[in-house]
Amino acid sequence: MISRLNLLVQIAVRNLLASTVNLLIGGLILFGTLFFVVIGSLLDSLNQSMARSVIGSVAGNIQIYSSASRDDLSLFGGMGGDPDLAAVNDFPKLKAELEAIDNVKTVVPMGNSGALITAGNIVDVTLERIRNLVRSGEGASVDQALNALSSTERKARLDSEIAHLRQIIAVLEGDAKKARAILSETAVEPEALAALEKVSTDAFWQQFDDKPYDALEFLENRIAPQVTDAQMLFIRYVGTDLDAFQRSFDRMEVVDGQPVPPGQRGFLIAKFLYEDQLKLKNARRLDKLHDAVAVGRKIADDDELKRFVRENRSQTRDIVLQLDGLQTKVFVEKLQKFLGSSEKELPTLLTSFFETTDANLEARYGFFYRELAPLLQLYRVRVGDTLTIKAFTRSGSIQSVNVKVYGTFAFKGLEKSPLAGATSLMDLMSFRDLYGYLTVDKKEELAELQKSTGAKAVDREHAEDQLFGDDGATVVAEATPGVIQEDAQLTGMGRKLRQEDLLKRVYTPAEINQGVVLNAAVMLKDGAKLDQTLAAINALSEQKKLGLKAVSWQTAAGMLGQIITVLRWVLLFSVGFIFLIAMVIINNAMMMATLQRAQMIGTLRAIGAQKSTVLGMVLIESLVLGVLFGGVGMLLGSAIVAALHSHGIAAPNDVAYFFFSGPRLLPDASAASLAVAIGLILFVTVVSTIIPAVLATRVSPLRAMQADE
Amino acid sequence: MSAIVTIKDVVKEYSLGTTVVQALRGVSLVVDKGEFLSIAGPSGSGKTTLLNLLGCVDTATRGLVEVAGKDTAKLTERELTNLRLNTIGFIFQSFNLVSVLTVFQNVEFPLLLQNTLSAGERKARVTSLLEQVGLATHLKHRPNELSGGQRQRVAIARALVTDPMIVLADEPTANLDSATGQQILDLMRSLNQSKGTTFIFSTHDHKVMRYANAVVRLADGKVIGREKPEEAVAHAIGELSAPVEALPS
Ligand SMILES: Nc1ncnc2c1ncn2[C@@H]1O[C@H](COP(=O)(O)OP(=O)(O)OP(=O)(O)O)[C@@H](O)[C@H]1O
Ligand SMILES: [Mg+2]
Repeated sequence: MISRLNLLVQIAVRNLLASTVNLLIGGLILFGTLFFVVIGSLLDSLNQSMARSVIGSVAGNIQIYSSASRDDLSLFGGMGGDPDLAAVNDFPKLKAELEAIDNVKTVVPMGNSGALITAGNIVDVTLERIRNLVRSGEGASVDQALNALSSTERKARLDSEIAHLRQIIAVLEGDAKKARAILSETAVEPEALAALEKVSTDAFWQQFDDKPYDALEFLENRIAPQVTDAQMLFIRYVGTDLDAFQRSFDRMEVVDGQPVPPGQRGFLIAKFLYEDQLKLKNARRLDKLHDAVAVGRKIADDDELKRFVRENRSQTRDIVLQLDGLQTKVFVEKLQKFLGSSEKELPTLLTSFFETTDANLEARYGFFYRELAPLLQLYRVRVGDTLTIKAFTRSGSIQSVNVKVYGTFAFKGLEKSPLAGATSLMDLMSFRDLYGYLTVDKKEELAELQKSTGAKAVDREHAEDQLFGDDGATVVAEATPGVIQEDAQLTGMGRKLRQEDLLKRVYTPAEINQGVVLNAAVMLKDGAKLDQTLAAINALSEQKKLGLKAVSWQTAAGMLGQIITVLRWVLLFSVGFIFLIAMVIINNAMMMATLQRAQMIGTLRAIGAQKSTVLGMVLIESLVLGVLFGGVGMLLGSAIVAALHSHGIAAPNDVAYFFFSGPRLLPDASAASLAVAIGLILFVTVVSTIIPAVLATRVSPLRAMQADE
Repeated sequence: MSAIVTIKDVVKEYSLGTTVVQALRGVSLVVDKGEFLSIAGPSGSGKTTLLNLLGCVDTATRGLVEVAGKDTAKLTERELTNLRLNTIGFIFQSFNLVSVLTVFQNVEFPLLLQNTLSAGERKARVTSLLEQVGLATHLKHRPNELSGGQRQRVAIARALVTDPMIVLADEPTANLDSATGQQILDLMRSLNQSKGTTFIFSTHDHKVMRYANAVVRLADGKVIGREKPEEAVAHAIGELSAPVEALPS
């Protein structure tokens, strides 16, 4: 048997060497295989690293959500905003059930959403500080430290703030006048200009000392709206059990500030977002220039970098408005000295300062952070600030929560990825408040409300039914301000609870878990067994009527998760095309060869070879061709992949960081693509040879007797 | 002596479009074991057609063809192939060696198809046969490195390697010069005598006929006689001097 096969292989090899067409075919197979192995391995590696990114940053291995949801879960947001998910009501029970499954490590509760936050404009912020100082004079500020100030200290601080505000007003007035002069009379409304003129008079500020609240109100209503730099910023966040999240997503690390203390409410801003959106634009652009130059880009011949410089030069107002009189003076002096200029106007000085070139960038970058930045508020939200997040509840009303920003965080290896750095973290209690789901606090409020208003006690069982009914949507509607008359009725205990203690309150894990979640990340012990575990969860949900839908991280990632799949199809399609050509050529060549060899085949038949032997001979011939050249292609491909692995592929841009799960992709020749390559080669050679092979079996032994033409 | 081939009233028709050509018109023939039989006749007389039927590479339109006791009409394609493999050896006019294989491999090929001998046994059998045909020193050669006579020796070795009962040879010397042809016939003859293998070969060359024990003369698809070589040669010379059609039937 073996020697017969051996002989057939020898015939095949010799036949192959006899024809140059076979070299062409072999070349095609070689190239197709090489292409497939290299690109396939790259895609597999991309898939793996993206899996690491998605799994490690927010999704976990598996996401579960209510099967009653109207939309499919899409963690990174879809086309039409956030998916409409029904609430999962009894999370503790569900967690216990799921964690009983073999491969499940833990279940982290979540709710993904996003909201517009308004990072207050500079006038608002300054006015807020002035108002607090004025209040503290009456001992009424929420900030106890302010209340404790001596009156001279308070006066000094107030004067400094007012000086800053007047500086801002002067800038605004100058702008408005310029606009009227350059553009048209109607460029600025007369009332706006009048308001600016009024507040720039000394008379207005004398009046401030007598009736500060009236003056503040005027400023808030008439001046603050004129500053348009207030940015509406869309922040995506995951409401989650922060402790569990930090434990389970071990690539997460706090960059600035500190983790939210266990059990407390709080907010962690994604570092990338923090840098990209909340940082002073000029500083951010300097950072980008610095980073770009560090990797060898040249401002002189890079349009993007040139644009950064241009924007830095023209957009200096953010800085100018931040500074009060004293600080402005300091800035002017420092810049004059640094630039060797006698220019007196800060905007002009800043414009010259930001004229950065390849030669002076590093010096100016250093100077900016050493000398100027300490006087500036570099970030619009700082660690320790309290963010007010407003969102529409599902019943349509606007709800807001205050959360303290404890710090910023990033995922190891994904620091530069806009995608991984787009989602911030919020504690689950605030999240539930924000979207009108019942929290322990709200329950307490309800009880308080009933006591203080003497409302007829709602039968607890009944209330539970009503609030935690099967239909998630009802819960929401019932639990939103419709039930709790919010601030109007919340006085006494309840109100106090909401206003202050909430930020400090420590919740037990049980309290955090209790109540609704929208989705949850299931972390697995062995990520490779994803499919089995997925099936197990779905089966369990079916069996115990948990009403859950479990999806892989890939599905949960929505369109993002499909990118690799799409690329894979493109690859298959192009390789398929190459192989299709190879098949046509193989088919033709083998056909020709069969006809040419008819006498030889007939002879073999005459001397006793069965049809099956002839079939085998032809098939083996093209198989040898395929295996030989395909094998070389696979070897070469693996070698290329190994070379790529040892060098690593640097992420070409920010987006690639997410797909590469870090700054470099280290591809491995994946067993899967090698296996598929083998399958493809076998398929191509066998299928393309079927017709010639059958043709060969039809050659009659009589052909042996006929003299060769 | 027992009959190894029995043919009775065999008709072989070829249809060419609408017309039907009768290549054999009622041929009957018995060949005994160990014969060295020549089939002679002018071109177109049906020699090749008859050998094809005997060699089981073709089937008769009518009549009985019995080879090694088997009625070939009753065998399947597979069985016919096995019959060819195990009981018949072929020697072709144009040698028909597999050009990509060595001399040794060409000869070994039928043994591999049989798949009954070990590699050692095969090697012994092949080398001894190649020694007998005088090519012991050419085992590794390729057919295109051999002369015509050497190639035909290889073909003879291949035909005999399975120890067949019958060896069929269609004009085995037609592509060889007469000296080489005679050497080939001497070789066949000696193998016939030493092994007792039945040889049936066709020719229209009277020098070739002389080697046979008996000559079956064909003309126009019919056996016109089974004769001693000398008679047949005399007839053949007569035939050559007069056209076939002119002969009384
Ligand atoms: N495949 C075929 N199709 C049609 N007619 C055929 C075929 N093979 C042979 N014949 C015809 O049958 C007759 C006998 O042919 P055959 O080849 O047997 O003669 P032959 O004696 O071998 O001749 P030669 O000495 O030229 O080889 C001839 O008339 C020939 O034309
Ligand atoms: Mg003939």
